[in-house]
Amino acid sequence: MLKKSLLAAAAIIAVAAMPAGASAAGKIKIGFLPGVVDPFYQVMQKGVEAAAKDLGIDVVTQIPQSWGVEQEKPLLDAMVARGDLNYIISAPVDKDQMIGPFQAANDAGVKIITVDTFLGDGDYANGPVKFPLSYLGSNNEQGGRLIADGMAKSIGDKGTVYLLSTNPNVSSVGAREKGFTEEMKEKHPNITVIGPDYDLDDQQKATQMTATVIEQHPDLAGVFGTNVFSAQGAAAAITNAGLGGKVVIASWDATAANMENLNKGLVSQVLAQKPFDMGYLAVEFAAADAAGVTSIPKHVETGFAILDKTNESDPNFSRFIYKAN
Amino acid sequence: MTVSHAAAGGPPVAGLSPGKRLVLLLSRVWAWLFLAVMVLFFVVAVPIVGSATFVSIRNSQNILVAIVPIVLLGLGQTFVIISAGIDLSVGWVMSLGSVLSALAIRGSASFGAPIWLAVVIGFFAGALGASVVGTINGVIIAKLKVPAFIVTLGTSFIVRGVALLMSENTTVIGLPDIRAYGNEAMFYYVRGGGDQAGFHFLHPPPLPTDMLRQLDRILQWPVVVTAVVVAIVMFILHRTQFGRHTYAIGGNLEAARRAGIPVDRRLIAIYALSATTAGIAGFLSTLEYNGGSAVIGDPLLLSSIAAVIIGGVSLFGGAGTIIGTVIGSLIIAVLTTGLVMLSVPAFWQFIVVGVVVIVAVLIDQSRDLIVGRTSRGSES
Repeated sequence: MLKKSLLAAAAIIAVAAMPAGASAAGKIKIGFLPGVVDPFYQVMQKGVEAAAKDLGIDVVTQIPQSWGVEQEKPLLDAMVARGDLNYIISAPVDKDQMIGPFQAANDAGVKIITVDTFLGDGDYANGPVKFPLSYLGSNNEQGGRLIADGMAKSIGDKGTVYLLSTNPNVSSVGAREKGFTEEMKEKHPNITVIGPDYDLDDQQKATQMTATVIEQHPDLAGVFGTNVFSAQGAAAAITNAGLGGKVVIASWDATAANMENLNKGLVSQVLAQKPFDMGYLAVEFAAADAAGVTSIPKHVETGFAILDKTNESDPNFSRFIYKAN
Repeated sequence: MTVSHAAAGGPPVAGLSPGKRLVLLLSRVWAWLFLAVMVLFFVVAVPIVGSATFVSIRNSQNILVAIVPIVLLGLGQTFVIISAGIDLSVGWVMSLGSVLSALAIRGSASFGAPIWLAVVIGFFAGALGASVVGTINGVIIAKLKVPAFIVTLGTSFIVRGVALLMSENTTVIGLPDIRAYGNEAMFYYVRGGGDQAGFHFLHPPPLPTDMLRQLDRILQWPVVVTAVVVAIVMFILHRTQFGRHTYAIGGNLEAARRAGIPVDRRLIAIYALSATTAGIAGFLSTLEYNGGSAVIGDPLLLSSIAAVIIGGVSLFGGAGTIIGTVIGSLIIAVLTTGLVMLSVPAFWQFIVVGVVVIVAVLIDQSRDLIVGRTSRGSES
């Protein structure tokens, strides 16, 4: 992981060291196509726009209104049909179904960089899908394991916990689920995991599903919501049931709402990814590739910060809270 | 009698002043006009704002591909709304069709069937499975006299559960590579120079990787399949007794019954047809994405209803055309594509579509006012 970060740093330094305008023929134009409207992707968009401004690149952004292949593909196709985009930075909404559409975009001459989620198995060097330039994202599986350990410690290493996720067959949350369940199975055998359940990235559904589980398992000790909406929805259900503070909630994604819940003591741990880094680096990689750099790493783990009551005011950690401005 | 005029897709025109007749004509073609004006707007605006051109082979073909699910869902919906009903289950039936065909394709391939046969089996699995749902809808609506809104809402939930269960709550993957069926095309065009330039039929010319960007696909297979289905459904609606009966039922249910039309049987067939076209849409999406998805159809339901209404199908029942639904779908797809090309957030499409839908309903109501027809007390 360290080596990959060094490679990434090298690529950035190589680009930064080039005098402006020394890149290959003309300015490049980048398309940004995240998965859906949410604070995580909004911070990523800030990263994309910051890098674009620093490098003098134009960015065209389109955001699907909900998470699904029928929402992402038409926007992708239209962006490719524009004919003026050299790169598209995107979060594929299904790791298998979107292979075809992104391959078609690549064939049409638009290079692809995936952020947050990947296509195939994410190994663009040796895996079944090799055409994207790079995959930048969190080590979601490791994050799931860290959350599992943290939750196990908070609940006394025994009890029942609920795993609430968004959509099946999405690389990012799938890896979080895997890390969480495997860590519990391997290191915390006295903890029973209910789920994973899928709320289809809908906060209302997340609340409903958590409320149901609370009814069935009055002794529920913890809930892990694998993304923004799952975590916020689950916290609402716990609060409504008057169990705030008694049921340990671990949230993925440090949105303002999740941080508020952390302050109120409803949530014990918030895992912050680094979407700004993902967006910024992706643009840098595109610029580097356009300038002729050939050693762009195929996979960059952007890392995360775990926030809890002890460190949330520490500026070294609070800077990772997702602020949309 | 008025039945023959209704079959032409509109209220009787005899006995109206020329002015009223012109207004009536405009009210019927306004969707075409709106589409033409919108296309013209984008043709002019897109090159000014950016370096793209709106009129290109790739763009026009993208639009055709984008309207495939909306048109197919809209076809059945057109029939249903003309009969003064509504089918809220088509979104989830499409998902069920996608899951059923994916499972069938995967299953038959694992039993050693050649890919083309697996695809055919998948088609029938998706279409026939969906038609079962439609038949159930029709039976409850016709025989048990429950309003269509409620029945189809209820079955949409049931179908949703079935689709999620059958797909085991995930995308159905592991199919043989059938992307060619969903993404290859009837014609190919190679832009620019080179010895492979020009049109090719059925098979793409072998091209080196860096020349691939000059390859355009014309009439991708899902578009061809949709065109065939549209032609068949148009024939049924405008040239068969079944179609005339559909208009009659929508015009006045009781009068249709008294005129000897087997209303119950027709209603069952209408809802079965609606579900079948939705199932075909699901099958095509399985081909396009090489996988079955239980969540694929839900967001498309409202778009398909909007397309049907924009296309001029009267909410009172008894009037409407298939071509209108196609025009309505095109309006939505052209709008989305144009906005992306203008670098305007695609969310604006929802505002525009919403306004156009309301305008369509107002025009529909004023059309009936002009002719002096009041809203029928028919079942809806």
